[in-house]
Amino acid sequence: MAWFCLFSYYPLVRGIVISFQDFRLIGNKPFVGFQNYQTVLTDSTFWDSFANTLLIGSGILVIGFIMPIVLALSLSEVFQTWFKKLTQTIVYLPHLFSWVVVGGMWIMLLAPDTGIVNQLLHALGQDKPINFMSDSSYARPVIVFSYVWKEMGYYCILYLATIVSINPSLYEAARIDGASRWQLVRYVTIPHLYSTMKVVIMLNVLGILRIFDQIVAMRNGAIAPKVDVLMMYTFQKGILEFKVGPATAAGFLLIIATLVITFAVRMLIRYDEG
Amino acid sequence: MNTLQKPSLGGRIFDVVNIIFLLVLVATMIIPLLNAFALAFSTNFNSMQPGIVLWPQPFSLEGFSTVWNRMQLYLPFQNNIIVTLIGTLLHVILSAMAGYVLVQKGLPGKKIIVSLILLTMTIPAESIMIPLYVINKEFGLLNSLTALINYGLVSGFSVLLMRNFFETVPMEMNESARIDGAGDFRIFFTMYLPLARAGLATVTLFEFVSRWNQFMPALLYINNHAKYTLQIALKAMIIDTDATSSTFMITTNVRMAGIVIALLPLIIIYPYVQKYFVKGIMVGANKE
Repeated sequence: MAWFCLFSYYPLVRGIVISFQDFRLIGNKPFVGFQNYQTVLTDSTFWDSFANTLLIGSGILVIGFIMPIVLALSLSEVFQTWFKKLTQTIVYLPHLFSWVVVGGMWIMLLAPDTGIVNQLLHALGQDKPINFMSDSSYARPVIVFSYVWKEMGYYCILYLATIVSINPSLYEAARIDGASRWQLVRYVTIPHLYSTMKVVIMLNVLGILRIFDQIVAMRNGAIAPKVDVLMMYTFQKGILEFKVGPATAAGFLLIIATLVITFAVRMLIRYDEG
Repeated sequence: MNTLQKPSLGGRIFDVVNIIFLLVLVATMIIPLLNAFALAFSTNFNSMQPGIVLWPQPFSLEGFSTVWNRMQLYLPFQNNIIVTLIGTLLHVILSAMAGYVLVQKGLPGKKIIVSLILLTMTIPAESIMIPLYVINKEFGLLNSLTALINYGLVSGFSVLLMRNFFETVPMEMNESARIDGAGDFRIFFTMYLPLARAGLATVTLFEFVSRWNQFMPALLYINNHAKYTLQIALKAMIIDTDATSSTFMITTNVRMAGIVIALLPLIIIYPYVQKYFVKGIMVGANKE
């Protein structure tokens, strides 16, 4: 038993060790106090990427919150089981794909001369193709949109799972009381989704702080100043410029931000009561 | 659930509008995919033509042969398979064992251990990427597949998920087996693992998907072409060449062929994933 415990504990300990090795990393170098943090906090690029994170993040938070609910509610109103199943299956599919694939696909779809989107716009009467991927005014919306596109199905199925678990007799009772279909959704279904909504908000909040793959996959020189988020800043400082100190400091600021924001959101939506 | 309701005119209109809405949404999901597949099977010339392509005209494997032979995508493909299979296997075994330990009675400091695990789940791996890079460098793991396998070898999510599944196994069974003289190993392998098969499947599938798509660690640790994984190779091929396409032209069908190759394993396992994943995320979400 002891041996077994040791063997199984190893990974747990390893995780903890790694989270402490960050500190050792700084300790290895001459101790510089808060200088690294100062460097980061006075760097205007840091604040730019901070602003990008906030803007893209709030876009995702709002649209990425509404869309799955709408989708789940309208799916739950469909009676044809095969159609429902099929839709669910297709909508969830992009979640499985990596950002490289999704990014590559959308870059192609949004291409100015051969992409489908511009072909459609052309058919609808738009004369000049829009270069979505290099026009900086479209950059953030494209990022938000593709994020929502990819993750919509995932959250939608979370909601659907909750809807299915609602006690059918509640609907019976409401119907006997003469509730219309809209009223059923409004007063029976949606209140039951509150706790799932909280979970989704939490997952989204944690998710937007760690957007990284997507930006690496979809950025280019032209739109970089609009979409580079905090993770990108850390990556560029540490790996591409080899400024390990400031990059680690930025990483830690991000961890602190994560913990603070998570805590704040938890308080705000009264997560623990749900 | 609404079968008892009598269809009214308003209800009918709603149904139709609703289905149209869903169809439009589904179209936005399926058209990009169809388009990618169609382009992948097109000829070099045709794939560069403007137009909405949903079916290859004419059918051709040019893109695939270019991407596989000339771009040597089979190397990253092999690397990806190695990392995915070994990584997933080790991940599942270690997570299951850790989960088993967590359901033992009289484990000292169980609460502390669980909260330490939860902490690792809250901190995004991306924010400690620089320390991780340095550690891997110190261990001499840069540019090796071992580094990729090692990355996320255990995750709090999987451990807690396995624990939740193991908790459904009655303790009495464990105790009676122990009285009969079975060791922990035997109890673990012959009782717990078979009873928590659904949990094992969930962890395996989740891990498989995330390993297959693993991007950031490969981006960080690998800069040797021979060790590229699929995602990195694809990124170099699809995205980085987009801006500088003057000297060596990579046609769209080649890019899309790369994408199709990367998608295939995922599409194959997709039906299984769908079966287990709701269970999985509900457990994960509750523990958040």
